[in-house]
Amino acid sequence: MKIIVHNDKCQGHARCWAMAPNIFELDDEGYIKPGDIDVAEADEKLAWKGAKSCPERALEIGK
Amino acid sequence: METFAARPIPAHVPPDMVGDFSLFSSPGMQPTPNGDPQAAAAVVHQGPRIFYSPVNTRDGRGTWVITRAQDQRKVLQDPETFSSHRSIFASALGESWPMIPLELDPPDHGKFRSLLNPLLSPKRVMALESAVRERAIFLIDRIAAAGTSCHVMEDFAFPFAVNIFLRFLGLSDDRLDEFVRWANALLHGDNVQRPAAARTIIGFIDELSAERRRRPVDDFMSFLVQSKIDDRPLTDMEIRGTGVLLFIAGLDTVAAAIGFDLNYLARHMDDQQLLRSDPSRIVLAAEELLRAYPTVQMIRVATRDIDFEGAPIRRGDYVSCATMIANRDPLEFPHPERIDLAREDNRHTAFAYGPHRCLGSHLARREIVVGLEEWLKRIPPFRIKQGTAPVTFGGHVFGIENLVLDWS
Repeated sequence: MKIIVHNDKCQGHARCWAMAPNIFELDDEGYIKPGDIDVAEADEKLAWKGAKSCPERALEIGK
Repeated sequence: METFAARPIPAHVPPDMVGDFSLFSSPGMQPTPNGDPQAAAAVVHQGPRIFYSPVNTRDGRGTWVITRAQDQRKVLQDPETFSSHRSIFASALGESWPMIPLELDPPDHGKFRSLLNPLLSPKRVMALESAVRERAIFLIDRIAAAGTSCHVMEDFAFPFAVNIFLRFLGLSDDRLDEFVRWANALLHGDNVQRPAAARTIIGFIDELSAERRRRPVDDFMSFLVQSKIDDRPLTDMEIRGTGVLLFIAGLDTVAAAIGFDLNYLARHMDDQQLLRSDPSRIVLAAEELLRAYPTVQMIRVATRDIDFEGAPIRRGDYVSCATMIANRDPLEFPHPERIDLAREDNRHTAFAYGPHRCLGSHLARREIVVGLEEWLKRIPPFRIKQGTAPVTFGGHVFGIENLVLDWS
């Protein structure tokens, strides 16, 4: 599974990070680091929940 | 209640788009014993997705009201069309300068956010947590030792939130009561009290920044006066605008949230028992309480004419995105009227959407969670004290007063 990160939409709510800090990494300002995220199979459920937690809809679940 | 000369409804607003709901005057918005203003505001979901409210700001102006979360997201994510620059604080003095970063628009907004974001990032807040918890424990233990009832706002919520804020500013607790009075007069006072409080706060911020310029220490204001934007130091007005915003944003909002949360738990013993028996549920529960009891309405100003979901918004029109309305949108939250402390998939807008997302949101969340954790750990099952009634009110910032809890 891949998480497509729309950095232009991230506003630093950090809800994804609160859900899964090891999957969604933040920069020093508290916004998500650039680049799509490859998710290991074991982490898929958590990553899905993290992506779904974004109030701005900045995280898209890809294949 | 202040009264204002009625402003005519602008000619471009179609008569059938005028609604009679107002966050200031509708049922449940005036001071109400045992009220529930957030639930009362949800009445708008029986109406259209957007309408014009003729009197919907503190100074009696009309606004468009965006009821759906999805539409509020569109407005708040588009600062080019919906500007946040409206000098809400300065206008109380008949002046025009922005509170920073809230009332700046991109691209200037981003420069100030980049400067300030690291100070209140999730990681930085983790480092502040022990001080937050220590303060909560101190206040709650004092309350528990003093008897079997307390005035929540005066004895806990305000001294807790204001202390954390003062610590952030690098100031001692000595003037805590004074600060609470200033904030109250500014946010909830009348047409005489508000400008007087605004001047007092400006005087305080200006004096503090001058002092930190002379003798910098390790605190927020020293950081600000030594900071640079575009390779130049901040101007006095920028420092004032930033300091004023921090002052206002840090004082009232967290205290109000804690008040509404404890009011809810005092009236729902089953939920109180649930959190008491399993404190690990508090983090998720706090999100649901933020959804159900947010306190702020965002107002934006249209920078151009735009037809928005059937509404002819014209340049200069005010557009209201009230958090308590979006958070009760049935299209966004199944059964929004139900408060479910285990609710998942809870993308509420208590801290707004878009680039102006509350800068202090991470600290606010920690304060609320830690406050609830320590309260439930140290205070036995509590209810509203018999013979008393908390008074809630709507308006620009929702609040609760006279919240007396009893555990005798």
